[in-house]
Amino acid sequence: MPADNETLRKQIIEAIASQHRPTVTVLSSLLAIQDAIGYIPNEAIEEVAVQQDTTVNAVFGVASFYPNFRFTPPNNHSIEVCWGPTCHLEGSSNILQAVLDYLDLKEEGDTQDGEFSFRFNTCLGACSQAPVISLNHELFGKISPDESIKLIKEIKSSEPKHI
Amino acid sequence: MTEKINLTIDGKEIQAQPGSMIIQAAMDNGMYIPYLCYYPGMKPYGACRMCVVKAEAPTPDGSYRSLPGSPASCTTPISEGMRVETNTDELISLRKGIMELLISEHPHGCLNCHRIDLCGPTDVCLRHVTVNDRCVTCPKNERCELKDTVRYMEMELTTPLTYNNRHLPLEVKDPFWDMDMNLCIVCSRCVRACDEVRVDQAITLKERSGRSIIGTSKGISLLESGCEFCGACIDVCPTGAIVERDYKWDKAEVKTTTTCPHCPVGCQTSLDINKRNKLIRSIPVREAEANQGMTCFKGKFGLDYANNRNRIKTPLIKKNGELVEASWPEALDLVASKLSQFKGNSYSLISSDRGTNEDHFIAQKFTRQIMQSNNIDFSSNTNSEIFDNLSSMIGHSSATNTIWNLLKTDLFVIVSSNITEQHNVLGVPIKQAISKGSKAIIIDPRETELSRFADHWIKPNINTEHILIGGIIRSIIDQSLENHDFASKSCENFDEFRSSVWDFDLSRVSKETGVSQEEIQDLAKTISESTATSFLYSLDTISSEIKESTSTAIIDLALLTGNVENPGSGIYPLFTGPNEQGARDMGCVPNFGPGYSHISETGIGLGELDNACQTGDIKALHIIGNQASISSESGQKIKNALDKVEFLVVHESFENEFTAKADVVFPSSLFAEKDGTFTNLERRIHKVNPALGNKFDEDEDWRILCQLATRMGANNFNYSNSEEVFKELSPFLLSTNDINFQKISQSGQIYSVKRKLKFKPINISLNLNSISSDEFPMILTRGRILEESKSDAKIQLINDKNSITRNEIIELNSQDALNNNILEGDSIKIIGDNFELSGIAHLNGINSGIVSTTQLFGSIIEKVQEHKTEDPMLHFDQLNLIPVRIEKPE
Ligand code: SF4
Ligand code: SF4
Ligand code: SF4
Ligand code: SF4
Ligand code: FES
Ligand code: FES
Repeated sequence: MPADNETLRKQIIEAIASQHRPTVTVLSSLLAIQDAIGYIPNEAIEEVAVQQDTTVNAVFGVASFYPNFRFTPPNNHSIEVCWGPTCHLEGSSNILQAVLDYLDLKEEGDTQDGEFSFRFNTCLGACSQAPVISLNHELFGKISPDESIKLIKEIKSSEPKHI
Repeated sequence: MTEKINLTIDGKEIQAQPGSMIIQAAMDNGMYIPYLCYYPGMKPYGACRMCVVKAEAPTPDGSYRSLPGSPASCTTPISEGMRVETNTDELISLRKGIMELLISEHPHGCLNCHRIDLCGPTDVCLRHVTVNDRCVTCPKNERCELKDTVRYMEMELTTPLTYNNRHLPLEVKDPFWDMDMNLCIVCSRCVRACDEVRVDQAITLKERSGRSIIGTSKGISLLESGCEFCGACIDVCPTGAIVERDYKWDKAEVKTTTTCPHCPVGCQTSLDINKRNKLIRSIPVREAEANQGMTCFKGKFGLDYANNRNRIKTPLIKKNGELVEASWPEALDLVASKLSQFKGNSYSLISSDRGTNEDHFIAQKFTRQIMQSNNIDFSSNTNSEIFDNLSSMIGHSSATNTIWNLLKTDLFVIVSSNITEQHNVLGVPIKQAISKGSKAIIIDPRETELSRFADHWIKPNINTEHILIGGIIRSIIDQSLENHDFASKSCENFDEFRSSVWDFDLSRVSKETGVSQEEIQDLAKTISESTATSFLYSLDTISSEIKESTSTAIIDLALLTGNVENPGSGIYPLFTGPNEQGARDMGCVPNFGPGYSHISETGIGLGELDNACQTGDIKALHIIGNQASISSESGQKIKNALDKVEFLVVHESFENEFTAKADVVFPSSLFAEKDGTFTNLERRIHKVNPALGNKFDEDEDWRILCQLATRMGANNFNYSNSEEVFKELSPFLLSTNDINFQKISQSGQIYSVKRKLKFKPINISLNLNSISSDEFPMILTRGRILEESKSDAKIQLINDKNSITRNEIIELNSQDALNNNILEGDSIKIIGDNFELSGIAHLNGINSGIVSTTQLFGSIIEKVQEHKTEDPMLHFDQLNLIPVRIEKPE
């Protein structure tokens, strides 16, 4: 549901303003925006440039440095498969393959049907539960490829929760 | 003088400036360490690791401690007693390894091939390197630093020929230059030049690790990214990744350094000339003190007119209403005999603001001695009040400090000046200082590029700037914030001046200017508290009646706060003509002679010329090279006068409205064909060199005048070259130091002046002749900025070039809008004499009677690039105030 331009700007401004931290920076503002609306639209780059007294080019330089920022709206649900060393040893490559096959993707990306945004994660921070996946930011540990697919099918029918 | 530091590099004992990096110390001592990301004058960066060295520093107990690993010499500062090795076998092989990695993404088949200088694009390559991967097809081939560095390192042929081709599309749609990011080595010099040096951040380093590359935010066009088209990024790029588009593949046969003919900054630029004697590129000189390696769009991309062959090639004489070619003797004889009939006050000469000092000196000598007239002026002398004023208050009519002294300024007070467009390089130290914490007060109704740097951007009512500054002065005196010692001891006339400020009652000032009393007091405080303030003014939005009072008030304010010539402080009057300073110094004006010498009778100047021609007082008019002023205010004035005069002589390079009406036309040389001197706004004498030599039968203006003078019987106009003219004119400039014409370096030479400071009383006179009229009751103030983050600019491809289409926003006062039945968001039209603009109304609190709009600088660049006239940079649309009316289309 692409927000119209004005709503989007309002959301962005609110997100920037909602930061309760001693120093507000380009990076922190970008994070706040991505948390609030799930991606960094053009308008966000412009707003951050204005508020941080810099240029759009400098803001984009920062944003594009971090692959975690995305510049297009995400799909309804997010899937992350941990690819860190522990999960790797515990067999995450099987999970990965199963998930990619199920989503019909070759690498990180968004599915055609608008349902899933998929990416790797270098460590979800729950190594003791390895292998781990994250579905809509909820972690599932000690999981098998089949269980993963089952859970993914479940969230597909749940409320879109793209952020 | 700070103590130098002693260190040893490769066994050689050297001395270097404290705080320098190893690489700089080596370079200053004539030693070379390979480097790619380092660039003199920019902050250490350490991206390429080409400059690795081994270094050890002494410890207190006398032994040496090695610096860990192989540090980059461009980021390692020197210390006393340091020992550095730059060329051990280990370092050499380390460097080669790094270089191999570096060129693994750059086509390098030719780079390490021994035939590199032998092969042409059509030769059969023994190594099967495809044509477009060869160095010889790269536009930077002859000036590629990457290539030079690889050659220096004697890389082995064993590097595999394959490389990771990025397959990025070329970017060729923006004006003036092309980008091929497949050749980029990601040294980041361009991004740093744009950010650190130009303070623009129009380009950035995108993404990271293996995919890092140079670009703009989301790939937007440079026209909207905030680029000022200064070319600094091109000049620092070590590879062919960013290059000038014109004459892209042409090689320089000769390089000649000369002075940019576009503005009084006087940038020194090295012109590349190809073997067909064409000017192919302009590269600013880093060692030059006036511009320190900078230029602007005009000096970088605006010199191609020197190649235009559509010139006036021989003298022309009007016969039966038509200009026909004539020989030099014929034309000179005719003019000499004709002019003999007009000696005295019926003759007038208008010199060009692009003339050299030699041209100006001979022009006034010819006019005064041969024609016995004081009717002499130069074409851009429309602000003479400002300068006469300066002479009487300061003792000379030029800036009181140097351009790069602005780096030390704490507070800039900039009155009605569009520096980024008119005196671009002057803006560089200003922006650098502000980015390091200096403050700026900008008094201007227009939004200019510098407005975004302003701490206070004051928009007083039109033509009340002098009142505002008077109010600031009054407030300073009221609060006893002046530099009393300086004002009363070092300057004359303080008491008389002080009593003149009582008229400036703050409530009245506030009422007239529309600036609140608190704000005025605040400004007074800011200005008096700053330790080093510079005042810059060109007064281009101020009508001529009050230019004098405005400039008086500014100088008074500078004197009052003691900001004349200390480090970081100064008064900078900004004029437009590239050699206006020289024209004045040489006495090419109606009211004084060379060296500001007194003359018995003031002649007719530009201001009265029109009238004097109409009434028949002037019968013979001599116009020298005024291409530059045709479309300007003064050009229009001259044009009106042309039909009335009996005899019109024009010296010109290209045909124009003046030559069409002339009785005789002499072909005159362009800047790139002249040998002479220009004086910039700092009083720095620069050399103008004949980079191209003569093309046709043209000649320098001073030579033409000398030949006329000799034909008219004079015997003191025999100069064999411009050096002899310079010898004769230099005593008028130089009281103490002697300048050797041949030896004027790229840094030029500033001549000294006597300073005499004197206050001048100010008065609150109101400008009663408002520029608006019944037909055009409103005043349009147009602004122009580099970038607007929230812009709704759209870039469209027109003829394969990026082009801006934008709904301009026209700001107006809510009450004015109401009176005109206009609502927020309405489409409206602004109509003036010769002017029309459509846009969307935006109602806000701007002063009543004013409409305002701010465009993107890119739209001008786009226009300039399309312009088909000889010298498009002359058709740069200036931001004058325009009387207009508003209309709402049905
Ligand atoms: S074209 Fe081939 S042979 Fe010629 S320099 Fe390049 S690599 Fe060497
Ligand atoms: S030309 Fe544009 S991008 Fe390059 S340095 Fe100048 S402002 Fe920056
Ligand atoms: S474009 Fe040129 S200056 Fe800029 S990073 Fe690439 S190689 Fe360096
Ligand atoms: S700043 Fe002036 S002198 Fe320098 S390049 Fe630009 S127009 Fe020429
Ligand atoms: S490696 Fe997967 S959670 Fe840490
Ligand atoms: S020149 Fe030193 S790291 Fe690039």
